[in-house]
Amino acid sequence: MAENLSSKLENKQEKVVNKTGLPLDYGDTKITVLPRDPICLFAYWSISKQISKKIENQFGKEIFEGSKLIIRVYDTTDVSFDGTNANRYFDIFVTPDSDSWYINVGEFNRCWCVDIGYLTKDGKFIPVARSNKVDMPRYGVSNITDEQWAMLQVEFEKLLRISGVNQIGMSSFDIAKLMRERWEEIVSISLPSSHSVTSSFKTHPKNQEQMSSHGKDSLKSFWLKADTEIIIYGATEPDAKLTLDGQSVKLSADGSFSLRFYLPNGDKDYSIEAVSHDGTMKKSITFEIKKSTK
Amino acid sequence: MNHKGYWCLQLHAHLPFVRHPDYPDFLEEDWLYEAITETYIPLLNIFENFVKDNIDFALTMTITPSLANMLADSLLQSRYYAKLNKLIELSEKEVVRTKNLPEFHPAALMYEQKLKTCKHIWEKYHGNILTGFKNLQDLGKIEIITCCATHGFLPLLNDETAMRAQIRIACQDYKRHFGREPRGIWLAECAYAYGVDKILKEEGIRFFFLEAHGILYGTPRPKYGVFAPVYCPSGVAAFSRDMETAHQVWSAESGYPGDPDYREFYRDLAYDLDYDYIKPYLHSDGIRRNIGIKYHRITGKVGLNEKQPYNPQWAANKAKMHAENFVFNRCNQINHLSGILGKEPIVVSMYDAELFGHWWFEGPDFINYLFRHIHSGQDVFKPITPIQYLEKFPTNQVLTPSPSSWGDKGYYEVWLNPKNDWIYKHLHTAANRMSEVATENKNASGLTLRALKQATRELLLAQSSDWAFIMTTGTMVEYAEKRTKEHIYNFTTLYEQIKNNNINESFLANLEYVNNIFPDVDYTVFIR
Repeated sequence: MAENLSSKLENKQEKVVNKTGLPLDYGDTKITVLPRDPICLFAYWSISKQISKKIENQFGKEIFEGSKLIIRVYDTTDVSFDGTNANRYFDIFVTPDSDSWYINVGEFNRCWCVDIGYLTKDGKFIPVARSNKVDMPRYGVSNITDEQWAMLQVEFEKLLRISGVNQIGMSSFDIAKLMRERWEEIVSISLPSSHSVTSSFKTHPKNQEQMSSHGKDSLKSFWLKADTEIIIYGATEPDAKLTLDGQSVKLSADGSFSLRFYLPNGDKDYSIEAVSHDGTMKKSITFEIKKSTK
Repeated sequence: MNHKGYWCLQLHAHLPFVRHPDYPDFLEEDWLYEAITETYIPLLNIFENFVKDNIDFALTMTITPSLANMLADSLLQSRYYAKLNKLIELSEKEVVRTKNLPEFHPAALMYEQKLKTCKHIWEKYHGNILTGFKNLQDLGKIEIITCCATHGFLPLLNDETAMRAQIRIACQDYKRHFGREPRGIWLAECAYAYGVDKILKEEGIRFFFLEAHGILYGTPRPKYGVFAPVYCPSGVAAFSRDMETAHQVWSAESGYPGDPDYREFYRDLAYDLDYDYIKPYLHSDGIRRNIGIKYHRITGKVGLNEKQPYNPQWAANKAKMHAENFVFNRCNQINHLSGILGKEPIVVSMYDAELFGHWWFEGPDFINYLFRHIHSGQDVFKPITPIQYLEKFPTNQVLTPSPSSWGDKGYYEVWLNPKNDWIYKHLHTAANRMSEVATENKNASGLTLRALKQATRELLLAQSSDWAFIMTTGTMVEYAEKRTKEHIYNFTTLYEQIKNNNINESFLANLEYVNNIFPDVDYTVFIR
């Protein structure tokens, strides 16, 4: 929502956050897969030290020499997978110190399950953990129609077009993206010295600083800007009613007030009137101001 | 006259739970305050005026549980009220200051008037605007639906119990605010995974919304595309999104909000005004940040200094024109569709509520003109809510939707990519551990009960999809990361204390005070 906000959590809670450095893993051995889209899986895993020890004990110390950490990806579409009956599988070689991987499964509308384990020099696979099963999000229109709701292919294609099948996704992410693009565009065309006649204050150096800090160097030409404001201030009884040119003005708790305006060229009158809270007494002051610019 | 179809507007109002009672002044709480002033109250005001003026209207609106909890929170209410009063004070000063600046004076007057209307409505509901929305629902004018308890992204929770907790706790909390069960739900980020509808059914939900391809890629083929709801095999109805109306509003090039007459978001008064004058209205650190008063219009592709003064009347005229254009296009679309489909279509438009007002300042005006024009300017279609539609047309095709979301590219990548994928290990472990301690303490009482409840709150707060979203979009990443880590840390600490039977009461009490979402949270949903 609000732009350019940084968090204040930083200062005071620094110590808590240092304490919250989360563990790299939870000391367990497991692999989990999540679908990212119809073609890509995300896998993350952890392998505990005890498991590595156990493998060493079982297969001998030299087992890890020359063996590689792999993810074996099983196509389990339409089967009740028991580790041996996959439709097919392929292996992904992952780097030894990695703990997650994005897997392109290469085929739409299938179910997948993975093992993480070691592939030894002689091609033997030692599985360490098996993942959950994932039925991927569908991609493309189903081939199945049902009798009660059947229709002609041409009709269906027409329907798909008007349903906007090619225009997926328009959400808060797009607002964020859109607003960022607009901001970048504005910054890229906002020159620091560009003269403005439209500010509600005629000069706004702060704004220009802000602009120049957004990438563009200040232009080096010599320049001068000047303009005028007027400040009207004073005080009366705190419970009095004060007006300036008929508009009511809020008093501070001590009865003081301060107003500032842009002062244009020409003659201008400002009349201030104070009325006591019971309405019985009245005082007024009028300033006559003349400004001309040469 | 017989109309030819229906239009269903769904507005999703959501903000993550941001509440920091331990700081007197906290930047990210501004998200809520800005949205109240710019979106929630203006919409409420418009809806109430429809009722007053006898305008026939119907719309559906999510008020997410995290948003409802903030709106009902007395601390945030009093902070908002103080902020609003400050802003009104500034707007009054501005009316005086711009007296001799005819090009800016109308805008200054507009802000003063808008802010005072806000205050009036706020006071009418004694600071709890949920009451206003509830009244409209009780009148049968709007359908308020719920959302995952903390906007958890269900497909990536990867655990049925964790998904169910997001739904059940949301439904329980809904009752607290709106006095009845919710009938519909907005799945956070419109994200559907196989099996979600079954959980919805079991928790008493009757309908939800899907992205277009959720139905278009469903099995078997949808006979009416996105222009009729379907029933999932569980019996829950799904309504899916019309992309034409999505693009009409959203498109970067041709969408309404980019019109040159509309207000420029990025030219804020806080940067224009003299520092001493504006300082009292900034945060306590005195840094210039947007305060929400802006006197310039988009103008065109020009730099900030070339932006021209905002003319409220021009902008209102434009909003009216755009509303009429939107209605005109719906008439054409619905005429066309009813010819092709041979039945009355329903066109479903869904938007983030905050688009209207916060990002697109004139958005609430647009909605105002829109329903008024639908009411009196055409007879091709009628506005409708999903429940009203299902009552009229109870027979619909049964199909299994495709997993999908309304995020970029249509699936889960915004919430699962190298910028945020590290969170899932922690979220999954924590959910698993929550089930473990809940199952071990089925009939907890006293301190253990309190610890289990707070552990549930911390877990749910960690699960908010907002954190992963922010990590991807790249603004305020640090805050999102801190929130994720902090809630996981709090959860883990409570988990260990429950396991070891040494609950630290003062640690617990502080968390209860700070992260007080869902006062009556039901941890037993995690029992396996």
